[in-house]
Amino acid sequence: MLTKRIQPMASQAKRLYVELMFQVMGRALQAVSEVDSVVQTEAKALPEGFLFEMMVMPDGSKLIVEHMGEGRFHYHGDTAPRPVDVSIKFKHLTHAFLVLSFQEKTSVAFAHDRMLVDGDVSYAVRMTRVLNRLESFILPKIIAKRAVKEYPVDLHLPEKLTSAARIYLKVATHFVQSARA
Amino acid sequence: MTNTYYEFFCPVKVIAGKAALEHIPYELSGLGAKRPMIVTDKGVRAAGLLDPVIAACEESNLDIVCIYDDVPPDSSTTVVRDIAAVYRKEKCDSIIAIGGGSAIDTGKAVNILVSEGGTDIAKYSGAGVIKHPLKPFFVVPTTAGTGSEVTSIAVITDETKGVKLPFTSSFLLPNAAIIDPRMTMTLPPHITAATAMDAMTHSVESFTCMAKNPLSDAYATAAIKKVSQSLLQVMDNPKDSDGRLELAQASTMAGIAFSNSMVGLVHSLGHATGAICHLPHGLCMSLYLPYVLEYNLETIRQPLGELLLYLEGPEVYADTPASRRAEASISALRKLRDALYKRCQLPRTLKETGKVTEDQLDHIAEMALDDGSIMFNPKEVTLKDARAVLQRAWA
Ligand SMILES: NC(=O)c1ccc[n+]([C@@H]2O[C@H](COP(=O)([O-])OP(=O)(O)OC[C@H]3O[C@@H](n4cnc5c(N)ncnc54)[C@H](O)[C@@H]3O)[C@@H](O)[C@H]2O)c1
Ligand SMILES: [Zn+2]
Repeated sequence: MLTKRIQPMASQAKRLYVELMFQVMGRALQAVSEVDSVVQTEAKALPEGFLFEMMVMPDGSKLIVEHMGEGRFHYHGDTAPRPVDVSIKFKHLTHAFLVLSFQEKTSVAFAHDRMLVDGDVSYAVRMTRVLNRLESFILPKIIAKRAVKEYPVDLHLPEKLTSAARIYLKVATHFVQSARA
Repeated sequence: MTNTYYEFFCPVKVIAGKAALEHIPYELSGLGAKRPMIVTDKGVRAAGLLDPVIAACEESNLDIVCIYDDVPPDSSTTVVRDIAAVYRKEKCDSIIAIGGGSAIDTGKAVNILVSEGGTDIAKYSGAGVIKHPLKPFFVVPTTAGTGSEVTSIAVITDETKGVKLPFTSSFLLPNAAIIDPRMTMTLPPHITAATAMDAMTHSVESFTCMAKNPLSDAYATAAIKKVSQSLLQVMDNPKDSDGRLELAQASTMAGIAFSNSMVGLVHSLGHATGAICHLPHGLCMSLYLPYVLEYNLETIRQPLGELLLYLEGPEVYADTPASRRAEASISALRKLRDALYKRCQLPRTLKETGKVTEDQLDHIAEMALDDGSIMFNPKEVTLKDARAVLQRAWA
């Protein structure tokens, strides 16, 4: 009886968490692409207008970003202006939760068949590197280590702190702006 | 509790051993197929390898309706379209691919077109696009290496766009893989060596990369043992049919292993090198294997050390202190490469290939970083790392 009542609540909480994380990541992706040259270099190889999606199957939360050119990303929220080019699909909400709550590394989740890639694999590989870079920026080192295969050695603390602060600031302003809009 | 999780899938019927080819007519009729088409290449046909298959079918009153023997080394979308047209014109109802990875991948792609319809194979590129079972499809491997007879992937070049299109679907898996020692007996020494090293690499990467699991581990170790025990014997005595069968089975087992656990950086570098310098896949595998293992060493010390048992046998394993086994495994692989170099000049460095120039290394590194297999390499690889590995593999 009790489990029956508790479970939908737990899954509701997971759903909200995943949705919120997608929002934070989407905004952070846009912000980090404005300040970090490593991310910009990675992104420059993507075609202009390239649409990237992360989503929870079958029809759950979504994160959509577009490459605007020059290595800059634009966060589109959860609706794409046209069909996306590459989609990373979590097979289940639970898998998305494991990854986005940093209990399972993105690379491990791939290895564990937790998600599918739809579209050009080489672009998906590139986006995974961008996401890793993003996670090591915005997360405290102790959590970032759990999230990415290797914590970049060239990410020294001052740079990390200042950039992360800038990203947080940008994310925060973006939130405020969209709340106003 | 750990986060351990894995999937393992291999629904291919394996028909292996003496007189295996003679089972083809029975297996085809079991699927209601009466008008098979053979897809193969000129080298395989010239080696006389179609004759026993055709004879086996004729003896059971099954006519091979047509034979396409013009598959090129890097099969293309145009070739696939042409073969599909022949298949339709001749009203075939099934495909038998006979050959190495090139003919097999082509057969898989043709099967998509003739089953799903249309003339544009590019439309079906990607993962999970195909949603229905395809036509009856049999594979007779004639190289012992790619394991393509048990993998759910095919790679076809789109000539107009100059890109390699991957196709992945479990529906690409053949209904049956027929492993007959007669089919690899004619393999020339350097292809025997290179393709066997492809199988070795599939096993070693499968056992040391991120998606390893207990079932793929079992196939990988068994395959390594077979290649280690039989490859040099076969190199010295090409007509050793028991040894040939061992290598052919090892290749299939390694294919089962890696299609369930994926491969890593050796393949990322190898795919890029194949595309840029047009070197055979197996050669690239043999070339990069030790350098990549050295790069990954500290991340894979434990599993790589375990492989010493299968590479060198129980005595050497027991005599080697646990802390030295990973290095000893790399040495064993280097020793095998030296022995192959002695017998057929299979290159051990990029320089030895004579087909790669040092100024191509940066391009190879960049392309390798975009290869899907790099996601499963146990250690993160940056552009700088890839360049460093290539530099070590140079000479
Ligand atoms: N789909 C997969 O899972 C997978 C895996 C690995 C590699 N591949 C692909 O496979 C291809 C390489 O395949 P391969 O290494 O088997 O070589 P291959 O099929 O290209 O054949 C190499 C040469 O050997 C000749 N040959 C083959 N068998 C012979 C025999 N028994 N006697 C005499 N000559 C023979 C062929 O005519 C050809 O000229 C690559 O295109 C690679 O991308 C696919
Ligand atoms: Zn291979």
